[in-house]
Amino acid sequence: MLQSGFAKYLRDGKGFEGTLIVAAVLYLLVFAAFPLIYTVVMSFQEVDMFTLGTLVRPFAGLQNYTDLFHRPEFAPIVWNTVIFVTLSIAFQLTIGFALALFFLQDFPGSTYVRGLFLAGWILPALVVGAVWRWIFAGDFGVLNYALQSLGLIDGQIYWLSDPAYALYSVIIANIWLGIPFNMILLSVGLAGIPGDVYEAAEMDGANVFQRFLTITLPMMGPTLGAVIALGVIFTLQQFDLVAALTQGGPANASNVAQYWSWQMSFQTYEISGGATVATMMIALVIVVAVIYVRSVQREQSF
Amino acid sequence: MMRKLLLGLVFSTAATSAVIAAPVTLQVWALDEPVHFTENMAKEFEAKNPDIKLDIKLVNFANILNDTIRAVSTNTAPDLLMLDNPDIASVASHDVLLDLSDRIAASKVVDAKNFYPGPINQSTWKGKIYGFPRGGNTLGLYYNADLFKAAGLDPTKPPQTWDEISAAAAKLTDAKKRQYGFGFSAVATEESTFQFLPWAQSAGGDFNAINTDGSVRALQFWQKLVDDKVATPEVLVLNQPDLGSQFVAGNIGMIVTGCWELPRFAKEVKFDWRVALMPIEKAGAPRASALGELAYAVPKTSAHPDEAFKFLEYIYSQSSRDWNEYGWLPLDQTATPKDPKWPEAYSVFAEQMKYARGRGPSPVWPKVSKAIQTAIQDTLTHKTDAKTALDTAQATIDGLIK
Repeated sequence: MLQSGFAKYLRDGKGFEGTLIVAAVLYLLVFAAFPLIYTVVMSFQEVDMFTLGTLVRPFAGLQNYTDLFHRPEFAPIVWNTVIFVTLSIAFQLTIGFALALFFLQDFPGSTYVRGLFLAGWILPALVVGAVWRWIFAGDFGVLNYALQSLGLIDGQIYWLSDPAYALYSVIIANIWLGIPFNMILLSVGLAGIPGDVYEAAEMDGANVFQRFLTITLPMMGPTLGAVIALGVIFTLQQFDLVAALTQGGPANASNVAQYWSWQMSFQTYEISGGATVATMMIALVIVVAVIYVRSVQREQSF
Repeated sequence: MMRKLLLGLVFSTAATSAVIAAPVTLQVWALDEPVHFTENMAKEFEAKNPDIKLDIKLVNFANILNDTIRAVSTNTAPDLLMLDNPDIASVASHDVLLDLSDRIAASKVVDAKNFYPGPINQSTWKGKIYGFPRGGNTLGLYYNADLFKAAGLDPTKPPQTWDEISAAAAKLTDAKKRQYGFGFSAVATEESTFQFLPWAQSAGGDFNAINTDGSVRALQFWQKLVDDKVATPEVLVLNQPDLGSQFVAGNIGMIVTGCWELPRFAKEVKFDWRVALMPIEKAGAPRASALGELAYAVPKTSAHPDEAFKFLEYIYSQSSRDWNEYGWLPLDQTATPKDPKWPEAYSVFAEQMKYARGRGPSPVWPKVSKAIQTAIQDTLTHKTDAKTALDTAQATIDGLIK
């Protein structure tokens, strides 16, 4: 009797909802909150490579943070990360938006071609990195060959081994990789704008630019906010491309925070240093995530 | 009652003796690609020792140190594992590996007198041997004899000093064809430290004397090769396999790389290629080369160290097969193959192995190596000059190894 009552409680009503919440929260606690807190804790401790199995380690206060700020590579890597994120997102978004608008025009095969664009995004970043490595190769790369054939350059550009170019080469590959994702999300947003608004504006004599500036852009606001927020998060996660293309070199010219964090944690085993970089990135991502959540809420209120 | 008790006693003794007779199973973590060395050795060993079974788990190179650290810190280490040789000191310094010195000294199979000095020094920390190298590999100078002839160089007299390397490299370089005279790897990983140290060592430097005049001259020499465009600026991003591919394609006349490339080159290279000893600074300077290869280690927590060592003895007893079947030089200098593959290359590398010097040993090797990599990259990109870069590296290293 009691059992069947409990089963009924679980099956419908409050009990069922509660179970769902508990399951989701448990999952988050184990797979998201715990590693996150563990990383933050490590950034305040002295971590040795053989004390990874325990949480009890000497407390280091803010020492890891001050050590990090005093490293000669700190400022250049932070600056590289800013350039990497800003340029990647600016170009991914504008090109993605332009393509989304382009495919919105009803021409034969437009939906299929738009689908094909996703192929690039499906490829693992390591594979994309290997392909771009061949394109960017200094002596026998495709890009140099193309530019020389077009008469645009004379000598070789060492895209990956010249410190003046390395960061921008990684950014170009990352832009290419991110465009399809931006385009699809923005296409979905565009599809949500009711067609009669445009019709009405057209009847009132608004030209194509006026329609874009006064209807498309404002109505896409929340979507754009969400796409930018997701873009920042994905770009800050972009580790594989750096690993495949330059390993942060030459001379840290293309090193970015996420790769630096990995280098410290798993190459030189300065685990607290790696955790400190990761913690600062978490703080930044939380800010961006809040913006994302708020813009999604605004989107829902439409 | 009494009978029951007796019966129980009989049963329990039977059970105990059954446990004793049961075969021991060794947990082994092996890094076995692409040659399946440990797996093959294990099969042969099991056939000869039916009371010992080996349960082999394969690990990959990128994870091996991380896996070891995780296993040791959670008390789940196997009975036998493999480490890249510069990592032995790091792990041993935490007092988690078994000291093998006494077992080696007492062994009837292993004779420490015959060890090549490089590999065993690399496995030694504070006078005790913690690693058992499965063999050793080292660097040599590979050159394209066809390009030598075309450039008017004598392929029977490969360059042996730095000056000769520069001169030959200049002749082998053809900017129009994007053909370079010389190649090495200065990529921002362990590989560049591995490649650079022999040059510094031949000029009297080492990892802990990295800002000596000799080390500075070595780095300036590398820098000049790139500045003079007889080596491609791509050395900053080429790892050793990439470098090998450029050599195979005929784009680089001479490269420095390891004996592990022999099987590939024998299969893929379409021209007359040969091998010579690593160049030295000038006639009479000491010879030096790098030392790579994996080593076995027994974690202290192993319940079966004797059986694990018995397996290592078996591997050692098969050393003379290493070169022909697996492509590296054995730990045992006297274990020469009967009919070596690539006989000229074999004699070069067997000679070169005598001068192979390890990296470190240092318990903080990855950080030491990182300081050297940074100096190399900063110098070749002209971010700073060789002397300043190596002074910085030396200061970092001094802080680490104190």
